[in-house]
Amino acid sequence: MSALRLISNRTSQQALSNSDYTWEYEYYEYGPVSFEGLKAHKYSIVIGFWVGLAVFVIFMFFVLTLLTKTGAPHQDNAESSEKRFRMNSFVADFGRPLESERVFSRQIAEESRSLFHFCINEVEHLDKAKQSHKGPGLESNIHFQEVPRSSGMFEEDLNCLTKFNIPNFVNTEQNSSLGEDDLLISEPPIILESKSVMQSSHRILD
Amino acid sequence: ENISDFSSNITDCTQVVVPEEVFFTVAAAGILENLLVLIAVIRNKNLHLPMYFFICSLAISDMLGSLYKTLENIFIILCKMGYLTRRGDFEKKLDDAMDSMFILSLLGSIFSLLAIAADRYITIFYALRYHNIMTLRRALVILAIIWTFCAGSSIAIALFSYEAATVIPFTILFPLMMFFILCLYIHMFLLARSHAKKIASLPASTVHQRTNMKGAITLTIFLGVFLCCWAPFVLHILLARFCPHNPYCACYMSIFHVNGTLIMCNAIIDPMIFAFRSPELRSTFKKMFCCAR
Repeated sequence: MSALRLISNRTSQQALSNSDYTWEYEYYEYGPVSFEGLKAHKYSIVIGFWVGLAVFVIFMFFVLTLLTKTGAPHQDNAESSEKRFRMNSFVADFGRPLESERVFSRQIAEESRSLFHFCINEVEHLDKAKQSHKGPGLESNIHFQEVPRSSGMFEEDLNCLTKFNIPNFVNTEQNSSLGEDDLLISEPPIILESKSVMQSSHRILD
Repeated sequence: ENISDFSSNITDCTQVVVPEEVFFTVAAAGILENLLVLIAVIRNKNLHLPMYFFICSLAISDMLGSLYKTLENIFIILCKMGYLTRRGDFEKKLDDAMDSMFILSLLGSIFSLLAIAADRYITIFYALRYHNIMTLRRALVILAIIWTFCAGSSIAIALFSYEAATVIPFTILFPLMMFFILCLYIHMFLLARSHAKKIASLPASTVHQRTNMKGAITLTIFLGVFLCCWAPFVLHILLARFCPHNPYCACYMSIFHVNGTLIMCNAIIDPMIFAFRSPELRSTFKKMFCCAR
């Protein structure tokens, strides 16, 4: 802004100084500024501003890392049983028979559907596991095998937040014919979505 | 003559000068990088998606910011070499135009970041209806509205920049948008955290806390970069409006060019945070450069 162009004083000798001009219309004048009698250091605003900014950013970082801590165990017990059910319904997509899937699908609220995105890993791994181990009896084994791997893949999970390729993720041939309401009500779409999840998950996690 | 006459006292805050080579290098790098992003999105049909259009909008506003700085420098050089008079009417209009370009860049950046955050929010929380909510046409309409509003307000602010009524909303808008974006991302972050809890609740879970740190680091980098690059300039505007004669304020305002360089650095960092994290975009780049050879 023209009002902001600081006119360098005559002591700036560098030929490459790039503030060395005036404009005719100055909204206000930078009169002579006296630097006498300063109580604090003259760059105190600069220092204070940058220190404040750094403190704020670090504070924000600590708040975010605090948010990532998984809370006290007693908080988890209350919801863990119910959530574990839901979790298992996603995770054990292929291990369980279809009927139990239907039961869980009706309980699924819309917000928990977003867990699908983060269950990409689990479903993908389970699909691989499923191809090698058929049968629901080995489900607990699958959990054992998958969870350590999923912890390593969680980095990509959170990276998904920032490099979300979600249009590729939900856009498959199977889904395209389903309307919005269908996805919320019926359960076959869950399996379809899981398949689409797996198909696209490779793209996302690459 | 309206020359600010800092006393020749040695305790002066002299203008901190950034070498022009640094200036032009940073500006050119910013412009090139964002131009690459634009070209890649235009050329690859797979990238014709709302998410990438918002990233393009951010790239355009970054390019405008760098372009402004480059033009201003060129302009000053021409003035010094005598090709342009310093008090002409044409120069005044040119100066106004450049000022409005810069404010347009700032507003465009803010609104593009807001659009990207909202798009990701809808992606996560309304995932199954995402395609119905965020159609391509709606995304383009949103972008048109954003840019029309930004263009209008930038011209208004540039014309009436001497009034406090324009400076104050401008400087309030900045932290407000930052706060809103922060809230959106924290909400998404909380969902990731609840998901982490669920993973942890699985039997024999060995989830490391450290993996969750990556999300926190990403988010901090994103918001921290934007704050560190734009806040100095916004503070400069405030101080220039309200306390130009105060020695402390004058000392802060002497680092104006460093602040300008920071804004151009933001133009360089933004594509790295947003655009280059997409594998599709990266593969498009590789194809572009491999074909060029």
